[in-house]
Amino acid sequence: MAALEHTPKVLVAKVGLDGHDVGARVIARGLVDRGMEVVYTGIRRTPEQVVAAARDEDVDVIGISILSGAHMPLLTRTAAALREDGIDDVLLIVGGIIPDDDAAALREVGVDAVFHPESTIDAIADYITEALGGRSGADAQREVGR
Amino acid sequence: MNEDHTQTAAEERIELDAGPRVKPFYTAADLDEERGEERPGEFPFTRGVGPARQRPLIKFYSGLGTPEQSNLRFRKLAALGVEEIQIAADLPSQIGYDADHVMAAGEVGRAGVSISSLRDMEVLFDGVGLDSLARVSMLGNAIGPIALALFVALGERQGLAREDYVVDLQNDPLKEYYARGTQFLPVEAAVRLAVDVVEWCAENAPHWYPLDACVNHINSAGAGSTAGTAFAIADAIAYVETLVGRGLDVDSFAPQLQMFLDEREDFFVAVANVRATRRVWARLMRDRFGARDPRSMALEVTAYGHGRETRQEPRNNIVRIALGCMAYRLAGVQSMYSASYDEALWTPSDEAVVASARTQQILGLEQGLDAVVDPLGGSYYVEALTDEIEREIVAQLEQVDAEGGAQACIANGYFRNVIAEGAVRRQGRFERGERATVGVNRFVSAEAALPAPKGPVVDPEVERLQGQRLAELRAERDGARVEAALAEVASAAREDRNTVPAVLEAVRAYATIGEICDRFRAELGEWTPDQQF
Repeated sequence: MAALEHTPKVLVAKVGLDGHDVGARVIARGLVDRGMEVVYTGIRRTPEQVVAAARDEDVDVIGISILSGAHMPLLTRTAAALREDGIDDVLLIVGGIIPDDDAAALREVGVDAVFHPESTIDAIADYITEALGGRSGADAQREVGR
Repeated sequence: MNEDHTQTAAEERIELDAGPRVKPFYTAADLDEERGEERPGEFPFTRGVGPARQRPLIKFYSGLGTPEQSNLRFRKLAALGVEEIQIAADLPSQIGYDADHVMAAGEVGRAGVSISSLRDMEVLFDGVGLDSLARVSMLGNAIGPIALALFVALGERQGLAREDYVVDLQNDPLKEYYARGTQFLPVEAAVRLAVDVVEWCAENAPHWYPLDACVNHINSAGAGSTAGTAFAIADAIAYVETLVGRGLDVDSFAPQLQMFLDEREDFFVAVANVRATRRVWARLMRDRFGARDPRSMALEVTAYGHGRETRQEPRNNIVRIALGCMAYRLAGVQSMYSASYDEALWTPSDEAVVASARTQQILGLEQGLDAVVDPLGGSYYVEALTDEIEREIVAQLEQVDAEGGAQACIANGYFRNVIAEGAVRRQGRFERGERATVGVNRFVSAEAALPAPKGPVVDPEVERLQGQRLAELRAERDGARVEAALAEVASAAREDRNTVPAVLEAVRAYATIGEICDRFRAELGEWTPDQQF
């Protein structure tokens, strides 16, 4: 992991009504094991609640797990709420069952990266480190885990 | 761990996901000498619930978008020879929010069909009589009495007597709190509502299936099938104890209970798990609960033909699913779902659904899998594996009992911890390349990556349409009747009476799922999410 100026702080969240949170918990534990600070907000949060928690906790990254198929409306709302709150420097990443066409559309609305179920935790951690280390880097937007 | 296709030393054991460490071969010396001959249909029912041949009912979990859209899919399923349809309701419906509730925004019609009232059920089953299928079904894990009432009231609307059709509910709220996530009431209240359904069915519909204790989500969340089975049995014990505590004779309801078993990592474990679970259940019912009716001891099983399906090369999943279905057929389950090959990508396409239904039919009719009951019985390996899984289920159950039972294990985090550790272990095995998945971490090839046909699209208008339908319903229905019925729901909940009669009257009056659940929330309290990981 490249050296960062401070320990990355990640908010792991579920938005909407999807209650399948094993993936979110495994990733939360895995990122802690890789030296990051992690907050998990539990299931069944609205996009606005997640954004408020991100602001209150002053996080660098929001990682949203969603498997219900409602990723387009809920992530569009999340990205919009981040802009409205003026905290759009937060890295917004998503993991779940996301068809490729939707992954492209999610990046259009402001999602920085989309991870699929077979992504490794190392790949996610490396992405975060790299993206936070070089926020101005041209390749901060990409899709990992294909 | 197992290297693919390599010779291993004679004594080297392979550790299976479900726990057992298996030897390269088994002999008569591995059999339990004390056991004696077991026969299908006889205690402890290891080899099956009855001596006669039987074929598992073909069951499909289906629903998406509007009731109209799902009705078309239901008609197609019936035409394909599907015998039981289980409604896949969207998450708002499962969690007790109407389609126009603020929490439903973005979720209406997504993971299932939008149902807010009896009106939606009428559309959903238009032209599909409840008696035209062997069973009709719905999960209803957090809304059991409402799910039951919707089928009772719909049967009345279709002019049917209860004897004419069979309702099959999952109605297993406890695992929601640690493995699935549609809970919205405090645990105690949820158990009470689930048990209300069982009690009502014991009295009013003894041929229906009011509850199946479900391993599926516990296993896939990370527990593995062996611990998952023990936890689901512990959940079942909590329901049975509550019913017995109400003064019911165990034999008055136990024959109607089922379990939903699940193993996706190993063919022989899937077979042995079913056999072991039947044995554990029979002893539990006889020895712990004093059942005398053999039907209480003979566990009816439902299962889901699954492999570990992948996004990559989705047609390979047809083979994975077929093997899952084959294991459960050989194990002698009573009903079986089969996954569709594109489920790792999206809600199944019509083509994938056809392939799934045909998989079960081909297995059932073309290769003699159903000709003999428990055809693997007597295999040194399958018998030894059955014994080992049985011992481990019993040991896990003792651990749960020592913790204070299922509800204590939810409160103290025991279930959650076992699941989280198992999920991390599986992820580690995947990341180290020890968990072979063809096309993902073995034999990856761009040549093989044929795309699957797209799944059905959810009409972006569904949320507005369902909201509009609700507004019309609220304007048309007899408001005074609805209010009186909802007040009765509240008092039944408050006064600790069985809630089913009051809920049924509310459903008949076209009260919505959200309105009924709001009464539950007001009277019984609300669950709040925890933030531990």
